[in-house]
Amino acid sequence: MISDRHELFRSMIDEALVAGTSVSPQPLLNEHLQSCAPCREYLDASTRVISSLGGFSFEVDPSLQAKVFDALALRAQQPEPAQFSPNRLVMICILAAALTVAGSFFDLKFGSLLASVLDLHYAQLRQGLLTFWIIPSLCLLLLFPLLPLLSRRKERIL
Amino acid sequence: MFDDDVTTVAFTERDARQIARNLRRKNVAFLQTLVEQYQYRLIRYLIYLLGRREGVDDLVQETWLRVLERGSSYDGHSRFEPWLFRIARNLALDDLRKRRFVSLDSTPGNEWDAAALSPASRAPSPFLLAARSEDAQRLASSMQTLDPAHREALVLRFQEELSLQEISIVVDAPVSTVASRIYRALATLRTQLEEPNHDL
Repeated sequence: MISDRHELFRSMIDEALVAGTSVSPQPLLNEHLQSCAPCREYLDASTRVISSLGGFSFEVDPSLQAKVFDALALRAQQPEPAQFSPNRLVMICILAAALTVAGSFFDLKFGSLLASVLDLHYAQLRQGLLTFWIIPSLCLLLLFPLLPLLSRRKERIL
Repeated sequence: MFDDDVTTVAFTERDARQIARNLRRKNVAFLQTLVEQYQYRLIRYLIYLLGRREGVDDLVQETWLRVLERGSSYDGHSRFEPWLFRIARNLALDDLRKRRFVSLDSTPGNEWDAAALSPASRAPSPFLLAARSEDAQRLASSMQTLDPAHREALVLRFQEELSLQEISIVVDAPVSTVASRIYRALATLRTQLEEPNHDL
């Protein structure tokens, strides 16, 4: 029971240290610390650990900063990879929609005429139009707007 | 005191906005001032994270290049430091994966175990070399063997002075997990410091 009580106060000490707040505004803990040497030692040891972290000083290669500056300058001069600007995105989507509509219109209005000129079955011509015109432009229309979203998601993840 | 706090917060927010604006413009001159300002902190964070000095300079350079490339994703609504450390952390993790020390079935919780398995960890401990005070010397060996995730939480909280929420964003773990890592790290180091006949 007594041990539980100390554990409780020690967890309060831990919480205060991790939160970066002082233990003094907590009257109950403060009162306990005044009468309990082991818990006071616990607080002192924890505070000592935290302050001793400042006793580590790592050496830095003096040439590193210059290397980083050079690398940044070099990278900044390189052309940027293609970006998905909103205007370009809209233009490509309009083009893809126009191609899809034009392909469908061509199929409906001139499909049978062209099939007879080329001496093909209408079904064969339609299959060709679908495979090489309508479906690719439809895919472009549907999938292209997703590319910037994927790119942004990758950036967020870094 | 309250007024001072408000001024500090406002200044920090203005700083963050300025950083975000300049990163969006890919302002290299401004980025160089950030490099000067954060270089040492970045090195220290990566050493705490990896437990080694070898390869850290390369990661630092990669981090700044990534900041230049992906600067537009920093919105300036939060502090710059967590965003910077998160980039460095992800690059360090990628580096570990490339070195093939992370097993395929590794979970996020033990991803940094690889750092301890690295051959570089047989090199002199960076903590031993960096210890400048008597207490730091006493803790150096424990720092090396401490769980990397615990060590990371420790440096982010007490050296970088990030809040628990900010650390949870950097390490992609709940606040309670971050707090628990710090408690455990403190407990381990406290024991080491309290040992009366510890050989320096």
